[in-house]
Amino acid sequence: MFLKKIAPALALSVAAVFAATAAHAEKLSVAATPVPHAELLEFVKPTLAKQGVELDIKVFTDYVQPNQQVADGQIDVNFFQHLPYLDSFNKEHKTKLVAVGQVHVEPFGAYSSKIKDIKDLKDGAQVALPNDPSNGARALLLLQKQGLIKLKDPGNILATSRDIVENPKKLKFRELEAATLPRVLPDVDVALINTNYALEAGLNPVKDALFIEGSDSPYANIVVTTEAKRKDPGIKKLVQALNSAEVKQFINDKYKGAIVPAF
Amino acid sequence: MIFGNIDWPLIGEATIDTLLMTGFSLFFTVLIGLPLGVILFLTSRHQMLDNAPVYQVLSFIVNVLRSVPFLILLIVMIPMTRVLAGTSLGVQGAIPPLVASAAPFFARLVENVLRELDPGVSEACRAMGANSRQTVLMALIPEATTGIVAAVIVTAIALVGYSAMSGVIGGGGLGDLALRFGYQRYQTDVMIVTVVILVVMVQLLQVFGDRLVARLNRK
Repeated sequence: MFLKKIAPALALSVAAVFAATAAHAEKLSVAATPVPHAELLEFVKPTLAKQGVELDIKVFTDYVQPNQQVADGQIDVNFFQHLPYLDSFNKEHKTKLVAVGQVHVEPFGAYSSKIKDIKDLKDGAQVALPNDPSNGARALLLLQKQGLIKLKDPGNILATSRDIVENPKKLKFRELEAATLPRVLPDVDVALINTNYALEAGLNPVKDALFIEGSDSPYANIVVTTEAKRKDPGIKKLVQALNSAEVKQFINDKYKGAIVPAF
Repeated sequence: MIFGNIDWPLIGEATIDTLLMTGFSLFFTVLIGLPLGVILFLTSRHQMLDNAPVYQVLSFIVNVLRSVPFLILLIVMIPMTRVLAGTSLGVQGAIPPLVASAAPFFARLVENVLRELDPGVSEACRAMGANSRQTVLMALIPEATTGIVAAVIVTAIALVGYSAMSGVIGGGGLGDLALRFGYQRYQTDVMIVTVVILVVMVQLLQVFGDRLVARLNRK
């Protein structure tokens, strides 16, 4: 009996405390993959609570459900993908999800054990690329950005070395298994390596890369919602919080170059 | 168009890569595997140079190399490949691991062929005063020629298959093409064409081998 009497009173007082700290508490549900997305969200959660946005982080380990749930209105926002993936998802699933902000890149870099500066790259140099479609194209797009090659369709995220139309340095391309690339570094002039494989091989993306994808990478990880919710104030606050100086510091301290801020 | 993804010059290049890889690897495989097989045979029990420690050690090395998955051998050998071939990449880089994998296999085949021979031949040689070197060169090898040729063909076909995995180190070749375009990019036509070329290659090898064996047998 005691409980029955006290419970409503307790609920009331909790509500009163909430009302005092956050005058207009908004609930925002976010779908995210565990690392680093959910970790970044946990980091901004207290800040957002102070601004009256209560973040409900739902961790997913697959790449379809987070988009599907947002499209169905079950979840407000998601944070796990890059734009090329969102584009192909929208096309395949006939959804109209939109990006409202970008946070970080898991960058792709060029490494060499022969040259210290990309300007020293000789004509006819050997360049090693990953041999799978998405990473291979990503490597070619990065080379294109550096002005080393030109692709038939400059935005093709599935380009292969056969799509190269201009190659002024007459670079020779070798396509290898992505994980093998760090091991063959001594045999080629340049190798384009995913950051996770570079880190595993003891390379430091910050210090060792000749050039690396920056904040303007099309592969920056984005915050996504539906067209209808794109102007939602809570979502705006979330994006602002994720693009804060504190998050930049947090990313640089915690991930040490494995991921870089894209804002 | 059914064959819209096919880039014929690329296929031609890959075919040449496969032939180069198989050809050179086969040459070195025979060069290393044949003596190794003969030594394995001679040092085994009740043979001319019966020597248990030598046999055990060689046999162990052969077994180890044969049990390491080729894909792993390809990667583990990278530093050694660099020393032997000058690079760990491409066709050149694929040859040392191919040889390391095929030579022990071929040596075992040779050992078995020699074991199947009638022991009377070498006994007769010994009785006439031939030393073991003479016995091997003048009696064993000539007697075993057809069996060894058949073993070379079996090894060559195994090498065609193994060379498909060289794509991991940028070795190129038809298998690499089938994997990269046929499998990863869903270009089924590329897969079909490369596989058909591989089948034709293996068929030709087998027919040629069978003919050679038949001719040798008639002599």
